[in-house]
Amino acid sequence: MPLWRQPLDRDRILIRHGIVNIIDDRCKGCGFCIEFCPQNILVISNRTNTKGYHPPEVISGMNCINCGLCALLCPDFAIYIEDGGEHTPENVVPIHRHEVQG
Amino acid sequence: MSTGEMHRSERLRILNYDTPAVSDWETGLHPMDDLLRGERLPHIWCQGCGLGTALTSFISSLKWLEKNRGWDLDKVAVVSGIGCTGRIAGYVRLDSFHTTHGRAIPFATGLKIANPDLKVIVISGDGDIAGIGGNHLIHAARRNLSITVVCVNNFNYGMTGGQVGPTTPHEARAVTAQYGNYEFPFNLPYLATASGASFVARWTVLHARRLTWTLRNALTHSGFSFVEIIAPCSTAYARWNPEGKGLDPENLRRRGLEVMKHYQKVGKIDHDVHPKDAHVKVNNQGEILEIIEGEFLDETRPDFKEAINQRADLAEKYWLSEKGTLDKRKVLTSRKKRVPRKEIQLGGFGGQGIMSAGKIIGMAAAVFNNLQACFTQSYGPEARGGAAGSQVVIASSPIHHPHLTQPTSMIIMSQGAYDKYVADLAPGGVLLIDDELVTLPADHRKDIKTFGISATKIAEQAGNNRAANTAMLGFWTAVEGIVDKDAMQESIAESVPPKTIKLNLDVFEAGHKIGLTIDK
Ligand code: SF4
Ligand code: SF4
Ligand code: SF4
Repeated sequence: MPLWRQPLDRDRILIRHGIVNIIDDRCKGCGFCIEFCPQNILVISNRTNTKGYHPPEVISGMNCINCGLCALLCPDFAIYIEDGGEHTPENVVPIHRHEVQG
Repeated sequence: MSTGEMHRSERLRILNYDTPAVSDWETGLHPMDDLLRGERLPHIWCQGCGLGTALTSFISSLKWLEKNRGWDLDKVAVVSGIGCTGRIAGYVRLDSFHTTHGRAIPFATGLKIANPDLKVIVISGDGDIAGIGGNHLIHAARRNLSITVVCVNNFNYGMTGGQVGPTTPHEARAVTAQYGNYEFPFNLPYLATASGASFVARWTVLHARRLTWTLRNALTHSGFSFVEIIAPCSTAYARWNPEGKGLDPENLRRRGLEVMKHYQKVGKIDHDVHPKDAHVKVNNQGEILEIIEGEFLDETRPDFKEAINQRADLAEKYWLSEKGTLDKRKVLTSRKKRVPRKEIQLGGFGGQGIMSAGKIIGMAAAVFNNLQACFTQSYGPEARGGAAGSQVVIASSPIHHPHLTQPTSMIIMSQGAYDKYVADLAPGGVLLIDDELVTLPADHRKDIKTFGISATKIAEQAGNNRAANTAMLGFWTAVEGIVDKDAMQESIAESVPPKTIKLNLDVFEAGHKIGLTIDK
């Protein structure tokens, strides 16, 4: 279990929530979004798109913090985030890579 | 609606293709779709190629500028050259220009100078900008022209299969350097800085967020801004080099990602480093050990437009101070007649004043006779004594083409010039010769009018054989009557050395008198 420093005002700040949208047929399965999502909420899915790639899927949608990095890194305009309002930090639990991959 | 604006489905329907009514690229699903040409997508870039990420960063920065700085995206033009990166111009829904290989910067220079309000951005690859277009890069940087050059560097020529390019690191592998590259690469930020760019930065596409911020700064910078983006070429470069995990078959579909993870390891942000030391360090296996990134330079200097305007102001001041002298010239508007385009060829040998004779005619027409004139000259390599020719075009309307198409009037003062030019004279044209210097051959053209005077002798008698050209001019003025006599006299008085004005005018008068007597 890695140790994480907690900001002192953690209980007071609100975190924006993002709703992840994946446009399956545009994805080329490069894995950038999966690898670099700071919340590690994306994984490769079993679905196959029309080009024969496996697009990502969201495993814990509540934990998206609307950072937008996946949309910025995606070379194929296949993933974007919609604003999902504000959340208290308690609702947002970071998932760590080793937990995801077991 | 132009074809560019027409929807793909619409166009394909016209072409009778069987296609779904709307492709998913046109549904505007993605927030960036409004700045993309859906009909050309999906793009050609390979899985895991960094170019798409460079494009999202660029579009994000434009969207930010539109929202927060009130940019009008109709005033943005994207120019790119040839190569994988060169496709970007075809994918953005902005005014864009896909140019010839290496020449993106010259095209952009033209755009910017002709329309200074336009924001001009060049996005192209390393092979295009630093390889074949390297010369254009350094000169645009030297001028500090206000354009942004984004060079996406993937260390090789990707589109053609991964050959060594000007940025391939020393000892890195490429399809044409299987045992390591023996050449040394350009350090692009250093090259741009040394050439005179005033904004220089480098990021890898992994640092897409910082890259977006930097692109905003680069786009709003006044002066030449240069941004190098290091991007994985998952198909070609990564195949041969350790960071793409070489030829490991397990990894074929994830090479781009492996390179991105490698960038995460080796990227080092240092804004204060001198661009000279902003290296891409590579070991002897071609593995990248360190990439220095950051905004290395941001300085304020007069850009190209300001520099031109400063000079123009100085020039204007100078001309205003000279204006007094110029105003003394009287424009002799006695001539009201319309003059259709007249082409005059003068020829002789160097030292006879062929050039000044042409200039005198041109000035008489343009300055003192309210006509338009254009003067060009041609001469051999010798300073004096070689072949010399000058050409004058006169017309009442503006002259759009300075070159002679078929002269109708010729002043010839040497045998060599006769041999060279006489065949060009239009049938029915007038040939004036110095009959002591030119001997007409037996087969001399019959379809032209030929008149001769002994110009050199007249000038010698007046005391200076160098004034022979003025005698010819007097003769020409009387015979042709294109330009007024008083205009010619004013022009001569302004052109010849002050001491010889009287002599020249006398010689002119003598030539003119003979001209009036001949039977045209
Ligand atoms: S917005 Fe951020 S947190 Fe949400 S999925 Fe994308 S990268 Fe992950
Ligand atoms: S970054 Fe884009 S193309 Fe790559 S896997 Fe994610 S959604 Fe697919
Ligand atoms: S060849 Fe290289 S640079 Fe070109 S699209 Fe493929 S990965 Fe990208």
